Amino acid sequence: MTQMIQILILGLALGGVYALMSSGMTLVFGVMKIVNLAHAAFIILAAYISFWLFKNISIDPILSIFITMPVMFLIGVLYYRLLFASRADNPHFTDITVLVTFASALVIEGLLSYFFTGIYRSTNPDYATKPFLIGPFFVPQSQVFATAISILVIIMLWLFLKHTRVGNSIRATMQNRNAAQVVGVNVAWVSMVSFGIGLALAGAAGSLLSFIFTFFPSKHVAWIGMLMSLVVLGGMGSLMGAMLSSFLLAVIASYVSFYLGPSWAPITFYLALFLILLFRPQGLLGKKVES
Amino acid sequence: MAEITDSTKNSKPLTKGSKLKNKVILALMIILILFPILQVTRDGYNYWLHMLLYVFLYAIMATSWNLIGGFAGYISLGHNVFFGIGAYLSGMVFVYLQISPFLTAPLAGILTMVGGLLFGLIALRTRGSTFIISTIALVLLVNELLDKWKFSGGTNGLPMSMIKMDGQFAKIPYYYYLLVIMILALLTSYYIRHSKFGLGLRAISQDEDKAEVAGIPTRQYKILAFGISGLFIGMAGAIWGSYLTYLRPSIFLPVNIGTTIVLMAILGGKGTVSGPAIGAAIMIAVNEFVVAKLGATELNIVVTGLILIFVLLYFPDGIVGTLKAKDRLPSFLDWG
Repeated sequence: MTQMIQILILGLALGGVYALMSSGMTLVFGVMKIVNLAHAAFIILAAYISFWLFKNISIDPILSIFITMPVMFLIGVLYYRLLFASRADNPHFTDITVLVTFASALVIEGLLSYFFTGIYRSTNPDYATKPFLIGPFFVPQSQVFATAISILVIIMLWLFLKHTRVGNSIRATMQNRNAAQVVGVNVAWVSMVSFGIGLALAGAAGSLLSFIFTFFPSKHVAWIGMLMSLVVLGGMGSLMGAMLSSFLLAVIASYVSFYLGPSWAPITFYLALFLILLFRPQGLLGKKVES
Repeated sequence: MAEITDSTKNSKPLTKGSKLKNKVILALMIILILFPILQVTRDGYNYWLHMLLYVFLYAIMATSWNLIGGFAGYISLGHNVFFGIGAYLSGMVFVYLQISPFLTAPLAGILTMVGGLLFGLIALRTRGSTFIISTIALVLLVNELLDKWKFSGGTNGLPMSMIKMDGQFAKIPYYYYLLVIMILALLTSYYIRHSKFGLGLRAISQDEDKAEVAGIPTRQYKILAFGISGLFIGMAGAIWGSYLTYLRPSIFLPVNIGTTIVLMAILGGKGTVSGPAIGAAIMIAVNEFVVAKLGATELNIVVTGLILIFVLLYFPDGIVGTLKAKDRLPSFLDWG
């Protein structure tokens, strides 16, 4: 029993980070119907920024969020303007974006391997290796911090979406793009800002990821499979759904890796993704996506 | 719909004015068939044989991808899953039963096709981005499973003994086998393109709902196209596994092989018969050039990615498609 609870705790302690990682991707899909297959690559890019800052000017990876978020926001805005802004009305927009973002992921991967080589990296602040002990249970400090900060960021995102004018416009666009345009929302501008926010969330996730996982440039392929399963299970474009599926799959993966071995954890995600697509393509909380 | 019917009429196979076209194709075929003679008579052409083998392989994969991705507009980013399945089917039969992949390759192709039909039966209920994601999910899943399965050698893979031939001639059987598969794939693509089946597929890519209303059995057509596209890739995979003499998930199932196939087909011209093969030849030449000039493999995928972005955004009809639209396409490449 103690063991069961211990595994549950470890799963939950990762769930928040997964939630942060998938929130940006689902937000971008919700607003623009862009399936951003480069999301994981952008997360890893942010992780490398944190890594560089930690190694060279010893900035704590948690504090480096204040750098990675705005930097990634800018990259997101530029990336969207450059590649997607003028094509949002193309009937095959979603298909094109899937391929273009995947190609972008390859470019990011190649550049990162060029500048940082393929060596496994991670930042190692003091809390990276210490656990918290609570009675008979333990949790790595790094995971507690990462999940706590992730949840904090998500709450801030939620407050922003709920209580600001821009946030309301974003939510309106997510619900119905055309109707939002009719009532005077500048959909093009909202799309650009949302893409920036999506990547800013990837930035925060990357900084946190840098001290709980090891990463290398081609790691994004594994992460993108995982992110897709989180986003699709939650229902593409549903933030609440992504939160729910993140904690759910994190816990399931935690049990799988305990009983079958850690190398089976990725299969949990891919199998989940596969089964959801087969039996409930709209996900847990999503509306039907395709017409 | 009207537009599709017209273009089929215009490019009616091999009517008048196609004498020169036939001659060029024939000449090309003879060159490809006779090329290995150079290697037999005087050694030193193994590098070129190897490059041509690569071109054949990717031409087979891109042409097959085009049946579902180009004609029907269902983009599969995980088409190399067929490649891996074909290779492992034949490879495992060879390792455990000692039957040569040269004999089992057609069977591996047919079994791969059955697998494709089964996957299509389920996955082709979805459309657009959901379908694309499901194909990536499939390739990731198969990759992980082969990586874990002891019987298939896991991460370390299965070594296969080499073909017992002098190094001077060892590449030649593979050369002809893949050449035949490539010709079969191109012929299949050609006949589908000029059939009612192909017309139906292209109607699906334009407006699936309307196609269905018009009485086209869209579901059966899509699944069939997806299955057939697995046939030749499965066969090619079986041969390629034997050519490399070892099987490993990381050789056949990385996601970027699937992307490369898509890139080649789109670069050459998706939905055209000759385009994907041309795209394959050009991409391999560019890749070889980049490797020779820059050396660095990291920058290699940067170049691949940048070309893909550029082609997708500014050149979506590809080389053959664009030339055709401008009426500048050499007639020997105009197969519809």
